[in-house]
Amino acid sequence: MESPIAQPAGAVHGDILEARVALRYTTLAEEYGAIRERAAVLDLSGARIIEIGGADAVDFAQRVLARDVEYLTAERCMTSLVLDADGRVVDQVVVWGRETGMLLESSVGGGARLLEHLTGLAGDGVEITDRSAELTLFGLEGPYSWGVVGRLIDGELAALPFESVVDTEWDGVPIVFARTGFTGEYGYKVLLPRTEAQRLWDAAVAEAVPAGQEALELAMLEVRQPLVHREAGAADILEMGANWLVDITKEDFVGRDAVLAAFAGPEGMRTVGFTTSADAPAAGTPVTVDGERIGEVVHAVHSVGLDAALGLIRVPADLAAAGLRLTVGDAEVTTLTSPYVTPKSWSTPII
Amino acid sequence: MTIDELRATAAARRETCARIKRMIVSRLDLPIEPEWITDDQPLFGRGLELDSLDVLELYVAIEAEFGVALYDSDMSVFGSVSRLAGHVDPALTLAETSA
Repeated sequence: MESPIAQPAGAVHGDILEARVALRYTTLAEEYGAIRERAAVLDLSGARIIEIGGADAVDFAQRVLARDVEYLTAERCMTSLVLDADGRVVDQVVVWGRETGMLLESSVGGGARLLEHLTGLAGDGVEITDRSAELTLFGLEGPYSWGVVGRLIDGELAALPFESVVDTEWDGVPIVFARTGFTGEYGYKVLLPRTEAQRLWDAAVAEAVPAGQEALELAMLEVRQPLVHREAGAADILEMGANWLVDITKEDFVGRDAVLAAFAGPEGMRTVGFTTSADAPAAGTPVTVDGERIGEVVHAVHSVGLDAALGLIRVPADLAAAGLRLTVGDAEVTTLTSPYVTPKSWSTPII
Repeated sequence: MTIDELRATAAARRETCARIKRMIVSRLDLPIEPEWITDDQPLFGRGLELDSLDVLELYVAIEAEFGVALYDSDMSVFGSVSRLAGHVDPALTLAETSA
């Protein structure tokens, strides 16, 4: 997966699963600051757009998605997990309701695995089509991203209810616009023809700061938005703490039996946030108490917002709580309450 | 702290979180077991997807259950169950900041 956008000189790139993405265009601090204080534009072309069509599209989507999409209209979207039969995470997706069928937006880099999973489950009456060669995705995030929506597309779209979807136009180009995001700030996405991506990107960067994957993932971590490629691994959804992306009241979906069995069983490991003034420890670094290993680091980075290392550890459930002082590697850490940074958008009205 | 002392500290927060979850499920008549809600789960937008009417119900419920009054301007307290626990039981927040 390659971006359709011409990459500026100095941009730093990296691979996330199948996707080659811009990690940063300038500096992490500048791009993170745009997400948390102003407005940032995100190239999300590393996410695949997969269409579920055919006469049995809705029934199939109900079976493969962990949340209830039976009544998802063409004016709504929602975030859901896709699980395998063992209850492990295949991917986290945004489901876009459409007049016929649905569009699944994969996580960045997670599309190939998702596509293979869906294709393997689809039977007669279901058509799985990878639309990524024709469609691509941009995001806007930030406490003033609503102003960018107004200047760039249409001010009336800025205050749409959360998870609304609208078919509209930008400069004569048909687009699908959604109010949804990742960081706890006001968030929007635009689904558009790949052939028009450069033009819209150029217009967007005149209004907002381009932010790469590093800044986006940091802002996601700060509000405990799951990063599947960093957090899932062999963990089940209870260990991840991703329960809210599974509708346990739904009668049937792939992975439900495994999820219910795990929920009914003894509490195992759970995930909790931590911070430390030491350097961010590597994934897998042991968590200890009095020299006894009790868990390990899942993922950690330096948080610009906290000016300290921020990460997730997986420890026994009876120790997965905020306010504890533990040892990670050689450093002392303190466990935290989510969200670790309060989004400015929570106290910034759309005007 | 010894591991037993850490477990005891964690148990205090987990118990307050459990009370909050039971209160939310009961007051809002949610069709889930309280234990399904995680301590870090956001309550608005994503997460439990509560709306402004639910907030009003929770203001009343929290004051009745915990004797703590919350106000409109303080929406950050609903950032997660654990964050809310720190507001209804300030001793938990004190433990977090002094840990």
